[in-house]
Amino acid sequence: MEEENNILRETVAEFCEKNLDEKKIETDGIDKKLTQLLAEQGFLGCAIPDKYSGSGLDETSYEIILEEIAKYSPTVAMRIFVLNSMYYPAVNGTAAEETLKDASTGKINIAVDFINKKTGNESVSGKIKGTLKNILGTDADKLVVFNDGTSLVSGPFKSESRDFMGFRGLKFGDLFLDNSVQVLDKSNRLSEIMEKAYGPASAIALGMIASALQKAIDYTNVRKAFGSQLRDFEPVSFRLARFRSTEVILRNSLYGKVDPYYTFNFAMEHLVEIARYSVNTHGGYGYFKDFGVEKFYRDAIVMKSIFYGTEELRKLTDHVYSEKINFI
Amino acid sequence: MFEELDDYRNKIREFALKEFTEEVAAEYDRKESYPDYLRKKSLSLGIVDMQNPAKVLIAIEELCRVDAGLGIALTTPYFGSEVIMLFGNDKQKEILNDVYRGKYILGLGVTEPSGGSDVAALKTTAKKQGNKYILNGSKMFITNGAIADYLVILARTSEDSNPHHGLSTFLLNTKSKGFSATKLEDKLGVRATNTAELQFNNIELSEDDLIGEEGKGFYYIMMFFNISRIYVAAQSIGIARGAFDKIKSYIKENNIKDEDSMFQLSDVGTRIEASIQMTYNAASYLFEFKPKPELTSMAKAYSSETAVFAAEEAMEILGDRSLYEDVQRIFRNAKIMEIWEGTSEIEKLVIARYILKGE
Repeated sequence: MEEENNILRETVAEFCEKNLDEKKIETDGIDKKLTQLLAEQGFLGCAIPDKYSGSGLDETSYEIILEEIAKYSPTVAMRIFVLNSMYYPAVNGTAAEETLKDASTGKINIAVDFINKKTGNESVSGKIKGTLKNILGTDADKLVVFNDGTSLVSGPFKSESRDFMGFRGLKFGDLFLDNSVQVLDKSNRLSEIMEKAYGPASAIALGMIASALQKAIDYTNVRKAFGSQLRDFEPVSFRLARFRSTEVILRNSLYGKVDPYYTFNFAMEHLVEIARYSVNTHGGYGYFKDFGVEKFYRDAIVMKSIFYGTEELRKLTDHVYSEKINFI
Repeated sequence: MFEELDDYRNKIREFALKEFTEEVAAEYDRKESYPDYLRKKSLSLGIVDMQNPAKVLIAIEELCRVDAGLGIALTTPYFGSEVIMLFGNDKQKEILNDVYRGKYILGLGVTEPSGGSDVAALKTTAKKQGNKYILNGSKMFITNGAIADYLVILARTSEDSNPHHGLSTFLLNTKSKGFSATKLEDKLGVRATNTAELQFNNIELSEDDLIGEEGKGFYYIMMFFNISRIYVAAQSIGIARGAFDKIKSYIKENNIKDEDSMFQLSDVGTRIEASIQMTYNAASYLFEFKPKPELTSMAKAYSSETAVFAAEEAMEILGDRSLYEDVQRIFRNAKIMEIWEGTSEIEKLVIARYILKGE
């Protein structure tokens, strides 16, 4: 099993090295050609069952794919995550699951409104009308929204995209809706869906941590200051070494048997700090896009701001307090 | 000293709130261009008074509180002026007066591609030939580099076993033959400021272009850093207060009362207050011409880390709302504070050296 995972990891890394140019992706977005490539390799719908033209991979394989892709392009990893961990569970078991085939094969783009915790637009009589603000993925053909229920909205959409700080390859902006709606569930399932996505979200965070850290290690290995390599300044190298320990523990936690609540919490607590320090070690160069480290810092804070807040901490706390007490 | 200037502070705050609208700040951030019309307007209204250092500090703080990109753009056309003020000749001081009047933009070129914080390792040379100096080399990450009319340049004029010796400062006219500047783009933040890479190819400098004495450039620049690090501390306080303003508004508007948010608010407020006390204390020594580099470095390191801390806290407290409003710009602007004018690591080395020296 371990050997299979290693082969998968190497295959994904090779694909990324060859096909993912994050600077281009951040500027131009994820184009049709790249979407097709991701679909052909089975990465796009990797955790979606075969019957919906997905790869039907197990969770470990899915997380390995996300981790490796996030090292090169957090944007592409986020697109795969949204399809497999948010869109798929939202439509699975409903009449809308027929859209999965086209989504897994890259024929249609999908988006999930997971930034707005609750939209102000109510779907009445099978229609939704109004402006849906702040959507990551305004180029979508199908969109899942969470109102009082969970609904699938079908495009085409009129949209207005604008600059966004993180995951820049995914178009961001507002959708102007006057569309038909298919109700998927009468309850708002966003919180439940996100909770089940802790493992895959941690995998993206791990990929970002690993890549930002490796860039810092590589840079401090060659950059000289005051007659020595930066790695010879122990406050710098000690800190990077400690971060490597964090990365290794996170990886073992993710692929081991650690409760996803703790893995996710651990990933979110360290993601921004490590990405930030990678920028620091690069000095002025780290502040510029060309060196490819500031993007991890941007994406890290966006990820933490979206996925990790008071609500998640309360869930974690409830989880801790609901554990079986053995010693009283 | 600072309390007496409350009226002045209010004036700057009013100017910033009126001129640095979200539309203007977002536009210059997106375009990554320098807002020259705002520089001229700020001059006509007496927003930056370089003759009064306490006022400079307040202006930096209040402008950066509303938007650091625009705030820094308006307060850096004079960057490096203190070197001329303290050590320049009459002709250079005339040029400086024109900088203060808004006729020229000034910049300072110290950092090089191969050595950021390691100033003494610079490779740019100004070799004496007869009564001229021939300037060759390059500079990196130079604020105002592509828009400046004049630049204070640090270059090596002689070899010495002590790398701190043999460095000299010059005032370079950017219209000089052999000078070229390439604007650097795609910065994470402070995108309304101009940043450039400079090339010097056999530029002829006269003896009149030398600032102060030959061979003392390193010490002039270190003295300048005592001043500019206070400015960065003020920029950082401004950014942190800007983030704090956002957190307070969000908490009040949404009637948030949970203790965790109160603790976060309290932590940010406490760190800002400590940064202000440290910075004003270090500045008070400096303004009496008795700089204490360790206090300056403490203020710079602590305040810059506070700016980043406050910005990240604002992002997290505002959650999804932080992503598409001005808070994300505060976050992007904050990070450079820990890098320019000496990284936090350099500041810590300075602090430690002075602490042990005082024993």
